Amino acid sequence: MSEVKIASELRDQFGKGAARKIRRANQVPVVLYGHGTEPRHLTMPGHDLLLALRTPNVLIRIEGAVNELALPKGVQRDPIKGFLEHVDLILVRRGEKVTIEMPVTVSGDVVNGAILDQQLVQISVEAEATSLPTGVEIDVDGKDVGFTVTAGDLDLPKGTTLAVEPDTLVLHVIAAPTADLPEEGEAAAEAPAAEAGDEAAEGEPAAAAE
Amino acid sequence: MLIPRRVKHRKQHRPDRSGAAKGGTRVVFGEFGIQALEHSYVTNRQIESARIAMTRHIRRGGKVWINIYPDRPLTKKPAETRMGSGKGSPEWWIANVKPGRVMFELSGVAEPIAREAMRRAMHKLPMKCRFVKREVGEA
Repeated sequence: MSEVKIASELRDQFGKGAARKIRRANQVPVVLYGHGTEPRHLTMPGHDLLLALRTPNVLIRIEGAVNELALPKGVQRDPIKGFLEHVDLILVRRGEKVTIEMPVTVSGDVVNGAILDQQLVQISVEAEATSLPTGVEIDVDGKDVGFTVTAGDLDLPKGTTLAVEPDTLVLHVIAAPTADLPEEGEAAAEAPAAEAGDEAAEGEPAAAAE
Repeated sequence: MLIPRRVKHRKQHRPDRSGAAKGGTRVVFGEFGIQALEHSYVTNRQIESARIAMTRHIRRGGKVWINIYPDRPLTKKPAETRMGSGKGSPEWWIANVKPGRVMFELSGVAEPIAREAMRRAMHKLPMKCRFVKREVGEA
């Protein structure tokens, strides 16, 4: 996987006021730590970092204030607008083995009447920091109920080893449940039953208080 | 319908409506989700109604997750009652939903079907919402 070069500046002001000032200037507050070093507080250009973080487990070459290789460890985003609020980066060195969460993607469609139940969308693997895998794909085209894939069945890229038990379930194909479509009479009978449920729920706390 | 089996206090204060969701802001179980864009109290009836709208549209296949739970009681005084003489009786069970919260998730269906199912479910909910998809490989 290629590296992404991003410029950085050291920051010496902390707290929400300073952080908001940084964000107003289209920058992102970043903290860099790892290998027992003291945490270093940086700022990075918001747009460059946002684009870089679209790639899972992107290797970032920090330039400017510090010259280091790092991986994203934690990303805080605004839940509505999606812009970056803060990023944690962890230091890595060339040749070092790191544990990452690798995306598991699925291709194809299972047979009619069955649904795919994907238990893991990411899987923990160990790989060399400078050659991290981008993901693993599972083909489920035409698979029927009972088809199961465990972590041990995955075709991992070269140099990558599992960091979870090989019998961990990744996905399986199960029979599709039928939608609960109540009949007309059943729907009409549903309302009074719910009212009774409400009363029971109201009465119960009083009983519990006694 | 979702109702708590037992609660510690039968009558509570109205929940805080300020701020944004602190967690549960991303799709984690399914592939698609409904995200709240405004604050609102969502009643157990609205949750059930949205769930039914979704499952009826997808008909067969698909799995639905409900990530909110109506665990807060709201009280109401009867009509034409003079003020005083204590707090009213519990009338609704609600979930206090803040902006950013992913309330429903869905998987096992194609995106156009999921979009339409969730559009129908959004009409049953009391706030502005949007359709969101799972983001792959974010730290």
